[in-house]
Amino acid sequence: MYVKPHKIPSVFIIGKHLATRGEAVYGEKTFGEYRVWDPKRSKLAALLKKYENLPLDTQQIVLYLGAASGTTASHLADIVSLIYAVEFAPRVARNLVRMAEQRSNVIPLIADASRPDYGHIVELVDLLYQDIAQKNQADIAIVNAEMFLRSHGYACIFIKARSIDVTAKPKAVYQSQVKKLKEIFDVMHVFDLSPYYKDHAAVITRLI
Amino acid sequence: MKHDMTYIHTWFADFEAEDHTITHSDVATTDLPAILVKLQRAGAMDLDKCYRGHFRKMALQSLFVSSESDYLSILRAATIAHAKAQIIEAFCQPDVHITQLIDAIDDIDEAVNLLSERLLEWHPPELENITLSITNAPPPESRMGDPLVQEFTLSVERLHELRSDIAASIVREMQALAPNISNVAGELLGARLIAAAGGLEPLARMPSSRIQVMGASKALFRHLKYKSKPPKHGLIFQHPLVRGNPVRIRGKVARLLAAKIAIAARLDFYSKEIYPDLMPQLERRISELASFTRRS
Repeated sequence: MYVKPHKIPSVFIIGKHLATRGEAVYGEKTFGEYRVWDPKRSKLAALLKKYENLPLDTQQIVLYLGAASGTTASHLADIVSLIYAVEFAPRVARNLVRMAEQRSNVIPLIADASRPDYGHIVELVDLLYQDIAQKNQADIAIVNAEMFLRSHGYACIFIKARSIDVTAKPKAVYQSQVKKLKEIFDVMHVFDLSPYYKDHAAVITRLI
Repeated sequence: MKHDMTYIHTWFADFEAEDHTITHSDVATTDLPAILVKLQRAGAMDLDKCYRGHFRKMALQSLFVSSESDYLSILRAATIAHAKAQIIEAFCQPDVHITQLIDAIDDIDEAVNLLSERLLEWHPPELENITLSITNAPPPESRMGDPLVQEFTLSVERLHELRSDIAASIVREMQALAPNISNVAGELLGARLIAAAGGLEPLARMPSSRIQVMGASKALFRHLKYKSKPPKHGLIFQHPLVRGNPVRIRGKVARLLAAKIAIAARLDFYSKEIYPDLMPQLERRISELASFTRRS
C-alpha cells in the first residue's frame, strides 16, 4: 500500500482513493488508520476530485451548516482544528452526536441555520461550509457569513438545483444563486459535481 | 463624553463592554447544569465580530477556564449533552409517535402480505381435506399436520392482532392530539397526513392546495415539469367523501375536503378547540356541489 500526501495537509491519496486519518465512524473502508473518503458519499470528496486547491488547512475553525449524520464532517474533522456542526433534524443528528462523542474537535449543534440562534456559542470562523438543501440557501449563507465568518474568510457552498426550482435548468439556478452570493462574497469558482452528484454545484467564495 | 455600551451574552458569561474594553463580567460556573441553562438561551445575535473573534480569550481573562483546551472540552461536553436532550425531546413528541405508529402499520401490512403468500405456497388450502387421490397412494402425511405450518399461521394471525391494536392506539392518540382533523379526515387518514407532512405543525402551516395533492408528488412534479394534468388528490383519495363521489366531481370534493382539513389542522395546532361544525359544513357544501353539477 502506497500512501501519497494530497496537496491539502492531512488528506492522503491511496491508489485511486482519497483518505483521511482518524477513527472510522460510518462503516467506511479503511487501510490501517486511513479512512477512505468516497466522493459518492461526500460532496466535499467529490469537490476535491474536481479541484485540489481547496482552501483547507489544519489550523482552521469551520462552521458547518447541514452536517446531517456527520459523514463529511468526520473527514473534515480529521483535517481542520475545530468544527461547529449545525444540523436541524434531530433524527439525523443522532449519528452526528455519536460522531462528536468520538472526536474531540466537533461541537454538535441542533439548530435552524436559517434562523441562527447559536450566536452565543459559535466564535469567529475561518471557513463557512454549507450543504443545505433549502430554497433560501444563498440567504442562509449570507446571514451566517455576516455573523460568524471572519473578513476574507472562505465559504464553500453547495447548491442543489433541485431543491431550489425543479422546473428550471440547473445552470440557471446556479447563476441566480451565485448572483445572490455576490452581494457579500467574491465568487472564486463554481464547480459542477457531476458525475458524482447530479444537478449539484459547489461555489467557492471569499468574504469581501 | 458618549460611551458605546455593549452587552455580550455568551454561553459561559455575560459581559458589559465600553469602547471595545470589557468593563464587567458575570461568569458562569463550569458545572454542566449551569452551562446547559446558558446554552438554551440564545444571545449575541448581532455581536460585533471583534468580540466574536475573542470568545476564548474572554473566557480565559474572566477566569471561566484556565486553558483553551478546557474551554473546548467544556463546550463540547455541554453541547453534546444539550443535543442529546433535544433529540430525546424530539422523539417524545406525540405527532412523532403517531408517525411511527402509521409507519409500523405499513410495515406490518407488507410483512403480512409476504408471509401470507408464503403460506399459500407452502400449505395451499387444497391440502386441508384430501379425499381423492389420483395415484391411489395415500397423501403425504408429513405436510398435513406440520407443526411449523401451524406456528407460521399463528404468527401471521398475531401480526394481524398487533395491527388492530396499533390502529386502535392511533385512534386514541389522534383524538387527543388532533380532534378536529380526526373529525374531518378520520383518525387513520389524519395520522397519515400528519406523517406525510412531518408533524402537526408543518401540516397546520401547509396551504390546503398542498394538502390536497400530498402523496401524489410524482404526478405533481410531472405536472410542474412536463405540463401534464395536475393531480386531483393524493392521500385524501382514501377519504370516503372523495372515493364515494362520482369521478366528475372528485376534484372539487378533494379541494373542499383539503380546505377543511387545513382549517382543522390549524385549530388543532394553534387553538386546541373542538369545532364539531366542520364536518356538517363540508357535507352541506358537497351536496350543494353535487346537485349543482348535476343540473348544469
